[in-house]
Amino acid sequence: MKTTLLSTLCIMVLLMTTTAIGEQKNSHNNSVLLPVKNDPTISFRFWFKVGSQNDPAGKEGLANITAQMLTDASTAKNSYEQILDKLYPLAASYNASTSMEMTVIYGRTHLDNINDYYPLFLDAILAPAFKQEDLDRIKSQVLNFLENTLRYASDEELGKAVLYNEIFAGTSYGHITSGTIEAVKSITLDDIRDFYKKYYTRDNLVIGLGGGYEEVLLQKLKDDLAALPAVAPKSIAKPTFKPISGLKVAIVEKDAPATAISMGFPINVLRGTKDWYALAIANSWLGEHRNSSSHLYQVIREARGQNYGDYSYIENYPNGGRLQLPPQNVCRRQQIFEIWIRPVPNENRHFCLRAALREFKKLVENGMTENDFNLTRKFLKNYVLHYAPTTMERLGYALDDKFYNVNGSHLELFRKMMDEITLADVNAAIRKYWQTKNMQIAVVTKDAKSFKDALVNDTPSPISYATPKPESVLEEDKEISVFPLKVKEGNVNITPVMDLFVK
Amino acid sequence: MLKIIYGVLMFLILAGMGSTAMTESIFPYKYIKETLPNGLTVVMIPMESPGLVAYYSVVRTGSRDEVEPGKSGFAHFFEHMMFRGTKKYPGNVYDSIVTSIGANANAYITDDYTCYHMNFAKEDLEKVIDIESDRFQNLYYEIQPFQTEAGAVYGEYRKNVTQPFALLNEKIQDLAYDVHTYKHTTMGFEADIKAMPEQYEYSLSFFNRFYRPDNIVLIIAGDIDPVSTIELIKKYYSSWKKGYVPPMIQPEPPQTAERTGEVSYPGKTLPIIDIGYKGDAFDPNNKDFIAALLLGDLAFGENSELYKKLVIQEQKVQFLGSGIPMNRDLPLFEIYSMVKKEDDINYIRDEIYKTLEEYKNNPVEENKLNDLKRRNKYSFLMGLDTPDHVAGGLARFAAITGGIDVIDQLYGQLEKISPPDIVSAAKKYFTKERRTVVVLKGVKQ
Repeated sequence: MKTTLLSTLCIMVLLMTTTAIGEQKNSHNNSVLLPVKNDPTISFRFWFKVGSQNDPAGKEGLANITAQMLTDASTAKNSYEQILDKLYPLAASYNASTSMEMTVIYGRTHLDNINDYYPLFLDAILAPAFKQEDLDRIKSQVLNFLENTLRYASDEELGKAVLYNEIFAGTSYGHITSGTIEAVKSITLDDIRDFYKKYYTRDNLVIGLGGGYEEVLLQKLKDDLAALPAVAPKSIAKPTFKPISGLKVAIVEKDAPATAISMGFPINVLRGTKDWYALAIANSWLGEHRNSSSHLYQVIREARGQNYGDYSYIENYPNGGRLQLPPQNVCRRQQIFEIWIRPVPNENRHFCLRAALREFKKLVENGMTENDFNLTRKFLKNYVLHYAPTTMERLGYALDDKFYNVNGSHLELFRKMMDEITLADVNAAIRKYWQTKNMQIAVVTKDAKSFKDALVNDTPSPISYATPKPESVLEEDKEISVFPLKVKEGNVNITPVMDLFVK
Repeated sequence: MLKIIYGVLMFLILAGMGSTAMTESIFPYKYIKETLPNGLTVVMIPMESPGLVAYYSVVRTGSRDEVEPGKSGFAHFFEHMMFRGTKKYPGNVYDSIVTSIGANANAYITDDYTCYHMNFAKEDLEKVIDIESDRFQNLYYEIQPFQTEAGAVYGEYRKNVTQPFALLNEKIQDLAYDVHTYKHTTMGFEADIKAMPEQYEYSLSFFNRFYRPDNIVLIIAGDIDPVSTIELIKKYYSSWKKGYVPPMIQPEPPQTAERTGEVSYPGKTLPIIDIGYKGDAFDPNNKDFIAALLLGDLAFGENSELYKKLVIQEQKVQFLGSGIPMNRDLPLFEIYSMVKKEDDINYIRDEIYKTLEEYKNNPVEENKLNDLKRRNKYSFLMGLDTPDHVAGGLARFAAITGGIDVIDQLYGQLEKISPPDIVSAAKKYFTKERRTVVVLKGVKQ
């Protein structure tokens, strides 16, 4: 019997397709369907329209913890241990992803196991138990992340968190998804029950379903989810942030072996619009994520060997150190332009900051060249083919299309725009959305005071190398080392690392 | 010789058993393996995909091959140098070709192998074969860019060194091994990384000895026609001369007593305990090894009794896990846990020991073992959904065995493991003599 089962599933995988051919995305008000004939798996993505922006004041981190209390905890029918036991032989799981504006409960199972998997997945959403012991365990993990991991284990992630917190301070975007230490400590089961009741409603949900499912499953899903209350919570306005005036620098003081730098400013352009795709071409040339084609990478890493990589973004890109391609379901109505300089030697921090800003300024002032433009749009047209090879990823993009009201598919539009957009469009987008005068900079480093002094005085920052460099590099270094940043003293603040994420 | 395996459709005749036995392949795609006269092994896996191809060049050399003193981390550095181009396609030209075809290209290194991988549209297959075969045969770089790239490698080290596990791994490997090259991490010792700019001549020799066709397996998966693909491979790779020189890796003498150590993390972290046991090299015919692969999950996986006790019920640890790696030589079988209170470190350690003793003395319940076997099968099958996942998932097998036929052997053996086999593996590997224990503690409170 077992042998027959194995043969059957092997043949099914043999027939499995990952092709988009014959696949049709159906999008309705509250569901996105992506049937894939012959896919032997089923992918679920349930999007609840809630995120960290909905955290009540003093309860920062509540959206994230509530979602985890659904997926990493007991339900009314099963203890957390029982759930782990039941999921184990299926090699399946379900998880929650909480970002600023979205919470997605997602999971995937083999068709063979759908009858075992489905009730567990649905129970997690419909009948969470909200037990104190589960909350204690989850809070302990979040606190360990805030108190230790984020402050010490990855200075580049720390720099990015500080950048976003500074830019959006005082707004609904003004804290990271994990929240703050004091707020997380204060979260109670009642907070979670209230949050769940308010936001986990039928009218606040978009069902994403993909893969080799049968029609009857969709109907069952709809029937079962009718158990959620019908009310839709009031949506909140996108954040009104305080304009940045000049170059503002937030220095995190710690005993760092190298200096991590992130910088950026808000931009008012979203995917789905022609301007966004035009800006995407310029951004790809300047700093394609984890790609040696990035110009910043060429200048700072390739020619000068200062770090592991240098990139730029026009959309939020969490976990950049671990991902090669963009994540899904981290949509935001308010995006920032962001430059990420991976840790550089402490003694060259000023030089590297200057080098990055100088290259950005050159692009903003001069625009792209015809050659660079043509190479980059050709690159992107094919590169986006790699963005979503699996049903689960395509389902993620389909939900994102709904978030951004993209007419059709972002990935298809992306490819189409690479044929339509002109160099003039790109350079116009650069001038419209990018500027070099007003920017927030976040730096994680040691001897913060001396860096502050160097910045404020625009002290020259000559660089020396342990090994020879070409004359052209050394000549350019002279210009970089005195490139004026004009940072005002009042625009620099220094925060000891232990003071971050406290409240 | 062209060898075709029809996956589930073909019965393998196990002639050596003296009778005809029928076995099914767990690997669901038919694949074609061919070895060129120069020793280059090519595995082609046609599968449906939206016009995409994954192209993996697996070099069977990793940090394990860094036998000379002072050269730790060099295989990793060399992986960086492989992007510096040739006289025909200098680095910037190579980059612009990769960029113009919109390929998703990168590389990574492990202890046992180095892998260069690229995903691209099928119409660019010949272009990719052209540039990849060229750089593997004709890599060329001057001393200046070589020295500059050493700076990028140091930058990578600095980026990683803030992670507690980077320090922990460095310590436990150094402590557990006396002579074998698993003594150092893939990243290498900092002093050796610092000295890399001086190793230009050595880098040329490294290329000559290890980047040879008889040390490389190509895995090409996706929307390909195997007949025309192998013709292209022959056209571009046949001129490459064999000449792999195996490194003289010293075998690690048997460990005779427990080793313990501590490491200080300069930041703030909860303590981590890492317990390593000298295991065995990958061998699908070694029943104890195969049983150990299952034992790690049974005893310390997320539905194990100990996980439930320490993570869910007592909540004394942030996480508990194990790693039973598949290696060319004998690796460490590791069990690790992040402990919430320093005072509990010894308690957690003893709970781990107690669990291992239980597995030595009591056969695991049959249904638990079956659950795990089922899980492994589905996990394997669900991971085979894109050309990149297929090729990527097979890379280690290709590196440690020279091909992917071993997958069937491995899953066949896993299926046969019984509760007494688990007892035998527990008794063999998880002894005090084979053990190295390292505790990492943060300096800041």
